[in-house]
Amino acid sequence: METILVVFNGLINGAFYALLSLGLAVIFGMLRVVNFMHGALYMLGAFGAFLLGTVFGVSFWWALIVSPIAVAIVGFVLERTLLRRLYDLDVLYNLLLTFGLTLFIQDAMRLRFGIQGVPYPAPPELHGVVAVGFMLFPTYRFFVLVFSVMICLGVWWLLEHTRIGMVIRASTENATLTRALGVDVDRWIPLVFAFGVALAGLAGVLAAPMYAVSPLMGGDLIITTFAIVVIGGMGSILGSVVTAFGVGALSALASVYYPAAANLLVFVIMAVVLLLRPAGLFGTAEGG
Amino acid sequence: MTQRLLGWTALAALALALPWIMYPVLATDIVTWGLFAAAFDILLGYTGLLSFGQAAYFGGGAYAAGLLAQRAGVPFPLNALAAGVIAGAMALPLMGLAIRRRGIYFAMITLAFAEMVFYVTNEWRSLTGGENGVQGIPRVAPGGLSLASPVVYYYTALPLAVLGLLLCWRIVRSPLGRVLLAVRENEVRTEMLGYPVTRYKLIAAVLSCAISGFAGGLWVINHGFVALDAVHWSTSGLVLTMVLLGGIGTRLGPLAGAALVLYLRDFLSTWTDAWGVVTGVIFVAVILIFRRGIVGTLEPLIVRGPRAGRAPAEPTLSPQGDPELSS
Amino acid sequence: MIKWAALLCAALLVLGIAGYPAAGQGTVRLTHGKLVLAVINDQSGVYADISGKWGVDAVRMAVEDFQKKYPGAIPGAIDVLSADHQNKPDVGASKAAEFYDRDNADMVIDVPTSSVGIAIAHVAAQKHRLFFAVGAATTALSNEDCNKYTFHYGYDTYMLANGTAIAVVKQGSTQWYIVYPNYAFGQDMNAKFSAAVQHAGGKVLLSDPTPFPNPTEDFSTFLIKARTLRPRLQVLGAMQAGQDLVNLIKQYNEFGLRQQGVKLAIGLLFLSDINSLTPAAIQGTVFTTAWYWNMDKDTRAWADRFYARTKIRPTFPDAGDYDGAWQYLEAVRRAGTDDSDKVVAQLEGYKFNDFFARHALIRKQDHVLVHDAYLAEVKAPNDVKEPYDFAKIDTTIPAAQAFQPLSEVHCNMAP
Repeated sequence: METILVVFNGLINGAFYALLSLGLAVIFGMLRVVNFMHGALYMLGAFGAFLLGTVFGVSFWWALIVSPIAVAIVGFVLERTLLRRLYDLDVLYNLLLTFGLTLFIQDAMRLRFGIQGVPYPAPPELHGVVAVGFMLFPTYRFFVLVFSVMICLGVWWLLEHTRIGMVIRASTENATLTRALGVDVDRWIPLVFAFGVALAGLAGVLAAPMYAVSPLMGGDLIITTFAIVVIGGMGSILGSVVTAFGVGALSALASVYYPAAANLLVFVIMAVVLLLRPAGLFGTAEGG
Repeated sequence: MTQRLLGWTALAALALALPWIMYPVLATDIVTWGLFAAAFDILLGYTGLLSFGQAAYFGGGAYAAGLLAQRAGVPFPLNALAAGVIAGAMALPLMGLAIRRRGIYFAMITLAFAEMVFYVTNEWRSLTGGENGVQGIPRVAPGGLSLASPVVYYYTALPLAVLGLLLCWRIVRSPLGRVLLAVRENEVRTEMLGYPVTRYKLIAAVLSCAISGFAGGLWVINHGFVALDAVHWSTSGLVLTMVLLGGIGTRLGPLAGAALVLYLRDFLSTWTDAWGVVTGVIFVAVILIFRRGIVGTLEPLIVRGPRAGRAPAEPTLSPQGDPELSS
Repeated sequence: MIKWAALLCAALLVLGIAGYPAAGQGTVRLTHGKLVLAVINDQSGVYADISGKWGVDAVRMAVEDFQKKYPGAIPGAIDVLSADHQNKPDVGASKAAEFYDRDNADMVIDVPTSSVGIAIAHVAAQKHRLFFAVGAATTALSNEDCNKYTFHYGYDTYMLANGTAIAVVKQGSTQWYIVYPNYAFGQDMNAKFSAAVQHAGGKVLLSDPTPFPNPTEDFSTFLIKARTLRPRLQVLGAMQAGQDLVNLIKQYNEFGLRQQGVKLAIGLLFLSDINSLTPAAIQGTVFTTAWYWNMDKDTRAWADRFYARTKIRPTFPDAGDYDGAWQYLEAVRRAGTDDSDKVVAQLEGYKFNDFFARHALIRKQDHVLVHDAYLAEVKAPNDVKEPYDFAKIDTTIPAAQAFQPLSEVHCNMAP
């Protein structure tokens, strides 16, 4: 019972990883950019919910829609004004650019809101706890799990059944070839970027009632999240999602049996996977 | 020719005057981090391998030199040299595994190994002091020479760092370096020409890591302590930042990048509490204005001639390592 | 206007307890023509709300008050410098060395984050200048890393563990589960708390390190684990600091552990933490503190003056920064020189009583400021009558019992 509960709870962490790595994976697929500010945009999503609530009296449910759109607009503008200028250079320069933007966004939010952060309550409909065996389990966490699985399924459907999905999948696997086939990949880039960061913003809104909404939230997420994308297989959207939930559950189990190593686990898995299956667990591309 | 000579003389004069321009501890930091960045660029700029785990070798070297000085009384600069050897020995198996992968996969394996080093350093408290680090490392020199003064230490460390830099530059201009450049441009073609590419890459990686460890040794004796952040991934990120800002695959770029980043960090610590905003804006501005890094952009403008324009590095993050090959 | 004058008088009276009547003029010899105090702390990172730039304000305030009380006692300017160590030990330590060397700083003060604090203690020893560690909690500063020029001023992990653990066990909660962040501070707190709990007759069923760094900011696995422990758990001991603590407590409430009879004991709680969590989230929680701003009218008077300046209520490190600077200036005045060795001689064994430190003694053997500590309790939201008045003091832990006994101290002052 205890183990089931721990694994189940780990899946909720996995849900956040899933939303974040999904966004990171589509962005990396299209732009070949490791979007270092993914964690900062997740934080902006959470602050978006807070500001919508306190300034405009907007409920959590509306924030769930409005805040990711706002983050998408921020992403769109940054892509058009800054990231775009560096596409002709080594992609590392865009990594550095997004790193610089991360420093800026985090610190600007700190100057405005302080480091300790602001409170954000769960929506009244989801207050309270549900008894599960010997435990009381927060209702809100059930919602997070169900909702994010639905989002992941929605994104999967989008990628499988729409034209933009096809473009994303094709260019994730091989951008040069997709271009050669006459697809105007570049036209889709800003939209895909905005979409990817909107998922980060959405994760931020979901996180707001569970974690302290502070400028440093998400600061350490990028490394783990990107590791998940790599383990899942760079070309595989499904791989990212499955790995995200898997890593969430395994880290939770590690926390129970050997807490000191819980953090390290994802990196051990990554090293082993890359050495044995270079293309990642679900990848098809022929790696080096 | 005269222009080049003039340039090098000015640079040497600057290096000698540095501890009088800024606080000598900071000056030594710039020189040691500059060496670390130059060693890192052997991999990034000349071999096309992005390692995101160099903190393990720089930090590992720092811990090694610090512990040797503190526990075994090994004098400077022997402890720093030993740190280089130890970092190289660490790199042999780890890089041996990592170079079996290319591009982003190589970057992520090196990151994974560095995270393991971080974890072990944090857990092995009896040796490393955990997060508090190894503190109170003495600056012992052979023959009872006193290195206590930061200025004296700067002038002691400078020639050693310069030797390290010369070694880096020698490596990239040696026959080995030529092959590495060929690997960067087209690995398969180089292999087909009969070069043992994997062995060359391993040699480059081990040398780079050994020099990084040596730089870590020089750095730790400068501060007299080393704490856990030296092996954190942000240290790997910092050295990458330096090379990118300075210019990938340029001789002076890593030095310029190290000077910019460290001076900025030091200056801002007393000037404002909004260092993140200022640093972020400066990073973004430098990338947008200079594009190929400060030296990478300015050098071709100042130094005209056949040696001036080096080909920029290929995208190193592509999963295949070489985008042309994958299509 | 009159109100401010009255407050100022009150404050000066309070401070007067500590000092002598106004001194003669210009008796102090200054090596470099002025006194320089340098504040080094975290002004932009996780600990920025604990002292940060407010700590700098507190030190400036101490200097101004000192100049008002003893006009002309220091024949020269008293400068206050400050630096943000950005939580990077090398930045902090080299800034300290630069302040000592270049700016002729006579003392460095504050420095949260243990690794930075210890590094600066070594710099101070090497430069033969003073260092007042206020923000750092580690007992290493007064044990293995102690030295002649370093003073640990305010609180440490021993004080925190000893106060809270014994009080909670005495309240009848004996079965503990400790979760601590897996870095030096947390490991130290775990060791100290476990010892104190056992000493008081309680039992630590289990203690677990939580990930460091903790990218997910999630602690719920440990909360689930807490419920599975047998015999039945009574107290969850949380040793986290800053953001981690806020998240852990948020999740403790989310999972309803309080309703299930698991109390919360917090290792280190700052006023800024309670503000961020809101008192409702942790009402009734017992914690040990070195000082509280609304403890009595003396602390209140000082806090009001601080508020007039900064528009916030002070944390105990803010007050400690003020008081450390003040006692340093007093010691310089008594010594008649800014010569470090003579100032150290004035500080060692010095007994005083002021708005911050009661029944205070600067212990000669390990340079710990020994003073009364307090067991405080977070008020229920309805009892919070004004902003930031979140706690009430339950008991005073007498100075003699609050800190590490000399028999347990391992400090070798000899260089």
